Amino acid sequence: MEKGSVTKAVDGVSVGISKGEVLALVGESGSGKTTLGRAAIGLVRPTSGRVLLRDGEAVVDVGEARGKKWKALRKRLQIIFQDPFSSVDPNMRVRDVLRIPLQAQGMKGGDEIDGKILAVVQRVGLPQEIIGDYVFQLSGGQRQRIGIARVLLFDPAFVVADEPVSMLDASLKADILRIIEREASENGTAFLLITHEMAVAKAISRRIGVMYLGKLVEVGPAGEVVRAPLHPYTQALIQASPAVDPGQKDQIRKVDVVGEPPRQTAHPAGCKFHPRCPYAMDVCKKTEPEMKEVSPGHFVACWLH
Amino acid sequence: MRAVEDADISMDKGEIVGLAGESGSGKSTLALALMRLLTPPAATVTGEVKFEGQEILSLREEQFRESYRWKKVAMVFQGSMSGFTPVFTIGSQIEEVMRIQGDGGGDEAVEKLLRMVELDPSMAKRYPHELSGGQKQRAFIAMALSLRPQLLIADEPTTALDVITQASIMNLLKSVRRETGISILLITHDLALISEIAERIYIMYAGRIVEGGRSDGLLGHPRHPYTQGLLASTLTLQTTEIRGIPGVMPDLARVPQGCSFTPRCPFAMERCKTERPELRGVGEEQVACWLY
Repeated sequence: MEKGSVTKAVDGVSVGISKGEVLALVGESGSGKTTLGRAAIGLVRPTSGRVLLRDGEAVVDVGEARGKKWKALRKRLQIIFQDPFSSVDPNMRVRDVLRIPLQAQGMKGGDEIDGKILAVVQRVGLPQEIIGDYVFQLSGGQRQRIGIARVLLFDPAFVVADEPVSMLDASLKADILRIIEREASENGTAFLLITHEMAVAKAISRRIGVMYLGKLVEVGPAGEVVRAPLHPYTQALIQASPAVDPGQKDQIRKVDVVGEPPRQTAHPAGCKFHPRCPYAMDVCKKTEPEMKEVSPGHFVACWLH
Repeated sequence: MRAVEDADISMDKGEIVGLAGESGSGKSTLALALMRLLTPPAATVTGEVKFEGQEILSLREEQFRESYRWKKVAMVFQGSMSGFTPVFTIGSQIEEVMRIQGDGGGDEAVEKLLRMVELDPSMAKRYPHELSGGQKQRAFIAMALSLRPQLLIADEPTTALDVITQASIMNLLKSVRRETGISILLITHDLALISEIAERIYIMYAGRIVEGGRSDGLLGHPRHPYTQGLLASTLTLQTTEIRGIPGVMPDLARVPQGCSFTPRCPFAMERCKTERPELRGVGEEQVACWLY
């Protein structure tokens, strides 16, 4: 791992993301995936545990950075938000949306700034003329591209993409995911992609992590997690993912898990998933299972394994 | 601006039909037109909507409200979870609908409805904020079913929900149809979701129906290049390559002459730029494309 980041998060589980890797984090709303993402780039400071960024030779403790160090770190750690309608100011011109961060980071000289702006606009597949438009004139898909262009201004080492495609239509979704895929493979940017859709995770990431109520319950190679999921929760997420299969239309889709996660304030004792788990045993109600490596690189926290 | 044009759809009794298209394709506008919720001068609707042979677009508003809206045709929306007033219990809000429409109501009727959508009858006494998103969507479906409509229009009913909840709502729609024989028009941008439930599918693009047919035929052999692109860009666990459709849908205020998909179509011919293809029968299906 040359450049990238290491996140020690949620109940003693370490997740590393290497340079150029896309790690997908999947879970339902309230699973804590957004909080983990924010902690990973220092937007919320963890009460315990550390977030480390290895950037070239240096290793930076993200949670400890303050002042000048913090400002310098902002260029290396970026975030793409879910909702392009609230994360990109509608009353600004595209040029200004992209100029202000550059100036805030001390870039001077109109030509250099303009060059940088045009370069990122092109990288996200938008026409150059768009920089003269107001954001309110743009479609949701175009706004999301601007949100990504803003992130790419500084060629960050690590980007958290928090549900970047959940508000977009199928064809736009594909476009945005391909931009992320390309930035990872060609520029070596590491991505933590947060999504509630297993299909999105499977399509773009090398590894998938599954979260439930603030805990990572399974991490492994994407293909393996989808083909042979170990945790009953992961199995349910896969069972519930729709396929293009008109042969199923008269069938009730079988999902072994019912209900929704309880509110965050009332986490069950033992394994947090046991009240919804079809395989819950006595031990699950009392003791929380530890993460265990079941096959190379494939971890699960479940008493069945 | 013509948000929807020449959109001809038909449904049989007890049938589940899917209407698919991306945002801005006009699919929700079409649904609102069916419910007569588009009012002049903001919007005008021309054409006809027939319900069991009866033309309902020309009815006076009171007549439509008394005999059709919510009674024969009900609707659930993407945001219907926020359609409940926060200060009244779920049960009282469902009962109010029944009472206003002169259908009695009463605790028993409400409890029966809640059971039908697989909610615990005690939910009747709860306030909306005490329910999860999925429970609220179920309760809203119960309210939509309270006057025993014959057609349920479900506009993106699961879009804001998690996948496990989404699957359970889709299962619910299937079982409600089985129990009551209701027809369902499911509107969504998600072709995978539609494929799981719809017997027939219509595909909309830039305000027009571009393809329609039985779902196995349409998804197995999509004919319109837009349908092909939409299907290829639909991500599922089986997807091996992420593929989009180049370009964007035209602004409905500036729909190009000819076929509106021409600028994005890999098979575009000269003719497509100037002449608009009509929807016509090709095999068992209908498609609006000069290739056929």
